[in-house]
Amino acid sequence: MNNRSSVEIFTEWDIVAARQLGRNEAKNSGFGTVDQARITTAISELARNIYLYAGKGKIEIERLETDGMKGMTIIASDEGPGIPDLRRVMEDGFSTSGGLGAGMPGVKRLMDDFKVESEVGKGTTITATKWLR
Amino acid sequence: MNLQVDVEQNDCVHVFKIIGEIDAFTAPTLKEQLEKVADQPECQAVLDFSQVNYMDSTGLGVFVAFYKKVKAVDGSVKIVGVNKRLKRLFEITGLDDIVEIEMESGDSNGTV
Amino acid sequence: MPQEVGKQYSALLQKYIQHEDETDLYAAQQVSRKFIEKKISPEEVISLHKTSVEEIFPELAVKIGPSYDFLIEVMIHYGLALMEHQSLIRKQEAMQIEMDVAVKVQDMLLETSIPKVEGLDIGLVSKPAKKMSGDYVYFIEQKDGEACVAVADVMGKGLPAALCMSMIKFGMDSLRSSATEPQHVLQVINQIVEKSMDDSMFISMFYGKFDKKTCEFTYGSAGHEPALLYRADEDRFIELDAKGLLLGIRKDVDFQQKSVEMSSGDFIVMLTDGVTEGRNAEGFIEEEVILDMLRTMKDRPAQQIVDHLYTELFKMQNYMLHDDFTLVLFKKE
Repeated sequence: MNNRSSVEIFTEWDIVAARQLGRNEAKNSGFGTVDQARITTAISELARNIYLYAGKGKIEIERLETDGMKGMTIIASDEGPGIPDLRRVMEDGFSTSGGLGAGMPGVKRLMDDFKVESEVGKGTTITATKWLR
Repeated sequence: MNLQVDVEQNDCVHVFKIIGEIDAFTAPTLKEQLEKVADQPECQAVLDFSQVNYMDSTGLGVFVAFYKKVKAVDGSVKIVGVNKRLKRLFEITGLDDIVEIEMESGDSNGTV
Repeated sequence: MPQEVGKQYSALLQKYIQHEDETDLYAAQQVSRKFIEKKISPEEVISLHKTSVEEIFPELAVKIGPSYDFLIEVMIHYGLALMEHQSLIRKQEAMQIEMDVAVKVQDMLLETSIPKVEGLDIGLVSKPAKKMSGDYVYFIEQKDGEACVAVADVMGKGLPAALCMSMIKFGMDSLRSSATEPQHVLQVINQIVEKSMDDSMFISMFYGKFDKKTCEFTYGSAGHEPALLYRADEDRFIELDAKGLLLGIRKDVDFQQKSVEMSSGDFIVMLTDGVTEGRNAEGFIEEEVILDMLRTMKDRPAQQIVDHLYTELFKMQNYMLHDDFTLVLFKKE
C-alpha cells in the first residue's frame, strides 16, 4: 500500500514545510534519528534547488512497502529550465556544491536510489528512495 | 596577480591598454578581451604594453592567436610601449618582423 | 554502525567521564580511526554519542536529546563534504596513473641518442617542470662525422605541448637521411607545424650541426633563445643568434643561417627559456650568473658542465622549476 503527500514549493518557507513533512513521514516509517536527518536534508536540497532555479515546483513523498521492504521515496518535480549538462552536475566539486559536498551528488549520497529526468526548456524530475535497514 | 585591460575604440582602431603581468593565470583575461574584436575586418589593433613588465610564453600564445585571426580578416596589429625585456622577446621570436613595434621611448622598428 | 565498535565507544566514554585519563583519549582516537576506515559519517558518531550519554545520564536524556538532534542536523553537510573530498582524492589518484602512462609513452616516442663524433663532447640535461615536458631535443648523427641537434620549446607545458612534439619528431625523422642544412630543416618543420597546429600554439627551435672535418658549427633559429659560444682563447662569450620567426605562424619564412668555427676548448650552449628565465624571490636570475657558472666549469667534460648548471640554477629557484629546463652543450675537445 502506498501513501503519497506533497508540498508545493514557491517561497523559501515552503522548503521548511517540505522538511517537516519529510521528517514526519520518515519518523512514521520507522527511520532512526540519523536517517531522518539524512532524508530531511535530501528534501531540503531538492526543494532549495527548485526554489533557486525553477522558481516553483513540488515535493512529493511516498511511503513504500514492497516484498517486506519498507522505505520512502521523494519526488522533486518542476517545470523549470531543465539541466543542460547532467554529467557535470553530477560531478564532485561542481560549482553548485563547490566543495561543500551538497548539490546533486550530495543527495545521491544521502539516499539509496537516485534517478534524474530532465529536459531543457521543459523541467526536471528527481526521484530518490531510502530503504529501512 | 591580476591583469587589467582597458579598451578604447576610435572608428576602426582598437586600443588595448594592458596593465599587469601576462602569465598562465592572467593570459585568459587578455584573450577574452582581444577575441571580442579579432574578427572585425580591416581594423587595426594597438596593444599598449607600457604598463606591462613581464610576459611569458602563455602571453605570447595569446598574442600569436590574436595576430593570426586579425591577419585572416586583413587587419593589422601594432605594439607600443614595450620595455627592453619585452622588446628583446619580440626580437628573438622574430615577431618584430611581422608586427610594428614602438618602444617606450618612442623608437619604432619601422615594420608596417 | 557495527555493534562492537559502538560498544567500544560507549565503554571508553564512560571510563573517560569517570577518570578523565589520557589513556582513554588515546584509545578513543584509535576508535575514531576505525570509524573513518569503516566510512562511518560524523552524524552517525554523534548519534552514537547521544545514545551513550543518555545511557550514562538517564535523568538528562529528555533535556539533552534535542541538542544532539540539532548537532546531527548540522553535521550532515560536514559528512557530505568529507565524502566528496575522499571521492576527489580517488579521482586524482586515477588521473595520476593515466598521466604516468602518458609520460612513459612520451619518453619512448621522443627517445634520442647522443651522437658520438670524434673531437666533440656532448652534454645534455632536460628536466620538465610538470610531468610532461614541452622541451624537445632531437639528435641526428650523420655517417660523415656530422652531429646535428634540434632544441625546441613548444609553447605551454604539459599534455598539449607533448602532442605538438610528435609532429616535430616525425618531421625530423623524415629528414634524417636527406639534407641537414639548418635553413632547410627549419623550413620543412615550419611547413608541417603551420598546417596542423592550433592558432595559439607556436614552437621555437634552434637547429645546429657540427662538422668534424671543418670544425664548423652551422646554425639557424626559429624564434628561439640565442645559443652561447665560449671562445677559450679569448675567455669570452658570444651570442649566436640567427633571425627567424617562430614556427607555425606563417607558411613562408626565411631563416637566416650562420656559421662559426670551433677551436679546442670552445663550447656552445643551446638552451630553452626555462634556463634564462629563472626566477627566485628577488626577481630574474641575471644572465651574468649563468655565464660565470659556465666559466668556472670551462675545463670540465660537457656533461659535468650541464649537470652543474642545472643543480645550481635549481637551487637558486628554491628547488622548483617554473618552466621546462633544457641545456645542450657541444664542446670541442
